[in-house]
Amino acid sequence: MTTGTSPMTANRITQAFRCAVTLLAAALIVTACSHRPHEHHEQLVVFGTLVDITIFDADDKSIARASAGITADLNRLHRTWHAWETSTLTAINDRFAHGEGAIVDAEGMRILRRAQELSIASGGLFNPAVGKLIGLWGFHQDDAPKGPPPPAEVVAELVAKNPQMSDLTFSDTAVTSGNPDVQLDLGAFAKGYAVDRAIGIVRAAGIENAIVNAGGDLRAIGRHGGRPWRIGIRNPGGPGILASVEVTGDESVFTSGNYERYFDYEGTRYHHIIDPRSGYPADGATSVTVIHTNGATADAAATALLVAGPEHWANVARQMGIENVMLVDKGNNIHMTLKMAQRVQFEGEAPSVVIVADPP
Amino acid sequence: MTRADWVIVISAVALLPFLYALYWGNAAPGDRVLVLVNGKQVLAASLATDTEFTVDGPLGTSHIKVHGGQVRFTDSPCANKLCVHTGWLQHGGEFAACLPNRVSLVVSGLNNRYDTINF
Repeated sequence: MTTGTSPMTANRITQAFRCAVTLLAAALIVTACSHRPHEHHEQLVVFGTLVDITIFDADDKSIARASAGITADLNRLHRTWHAWETSTLTAINDRFAHGEGAIVDAEGMRILRRAQELSIASGGLFNPAVGKLIGLWGFHQDDAPKGPPPPAEVVAELVAKNPQMSDLTFSDTAVTSGNPDVQLDLGAFAKGYAVDRAIGIVRAAGIENAIVNAGGDLRAIGRHGGRPWRIGIRNPGGPGILASVEVTGDESVFTSGNYERYFDYEGTRYHHIIDPRSGYPADGATSVTVIHTNGATADAAATALLVAGPEHWANVARQMGIENVMLVDKGNNIHMTLKMAQRVQFEGEAPSVVIVADPP
Repeated sequence: MTRADWVIVISAVALLPFLYALYWGNAAPGDRVLVLVNGKQVLAASLATDTEFTVDGPLGTSHIKVHGGQVRFTDSPCANKLCVHTGWLQHGGEFAACLPNRVSLVVSGLNNRYDTINF
């Protein structure tokens, strides 16, 4: 290269300068045209919980439409299926208590039939017919009960009445119960159904990438731009994140845990997931996480598998057709299906893990 | 390489930090907290600066504290204090709410480790 300012060099410098300007301009144009990946959070206080909606890349109009639709629909479901405030469900329960059938609309029929199917598939471990038992334990109120636990003989008496979803019979428009002690409480199903509805509304608004998280349980569709959605699973009962999973397409992630609603009485903790066989809080597992396409199914399964506990969960999962399960037992050991083990990533120190082979 | 090539290479390298800042600038974990009343955002605060603030809801005043990259409710005018018991939030996607007072917090950022939290 020559030194000095020959006409050739000056030309080169001009050329270089032009190139630099072009490059800078190109960078600025790219910046101006490509909007930032747009992640939007919408929070709604509905359904007695906080519903957190994460939306990726959608216009404000669609977001507003989805948000209004979800608010209206979840408020409607809340009023219809509330287990202890006056609702369509409490009216059905009143009819059952008097040995009478109840007229139910088409959506109600679908919900109750599905709940019955899931209950039977779970061998009665998911049993929304034991509303009386849940009420007896004091969980039919917004605040945590203070205790004491109900007298053992009253619990035993209710369990002996054996209310089951199979006691329900359906005609075209009405449902009747062959057992007057059936009192429905869809606590382990309604949230899943509500999340399914919410995702339907999000889709109808033209949004393809979203997570609807209702108080910790969620369904996710699409993806976060160029990567899958990343879901953190909180440590049961403690702070911090136990594990994470990646989700794309359309999947629900539901966790049932003994830390969600409970009371302590004379040194013993009593939580809200009641084993319908004993009438007492399910003992054995701390939490169960289920991944399944359908939210209502995942919701019911997470409850049933928590009741099943570390010894029996795999059989119940098989009966219910659930392939992705992670159970944390009381000793903080993790039990998983092979499918779940392949996608769970533990955060921090890897815990002791028992992997159960998937059914052939 | 000609001088022009060098200028291009140097310019490109010089632009990198700018592009990095533009697209990944919010990548630090626990970016910021969004505070919502009735589901509408009323303020956003960085989690990088320790601070305390209050937000008014229909029931009264909720107290929120940011400390060491985390955020929590410290008090709220509700009966069961579930919001306070939720404790510290630090991961993107984590949220807490005082439902009676309609005040909620969500940790947000562009490149969170998690998009949402299951529990």
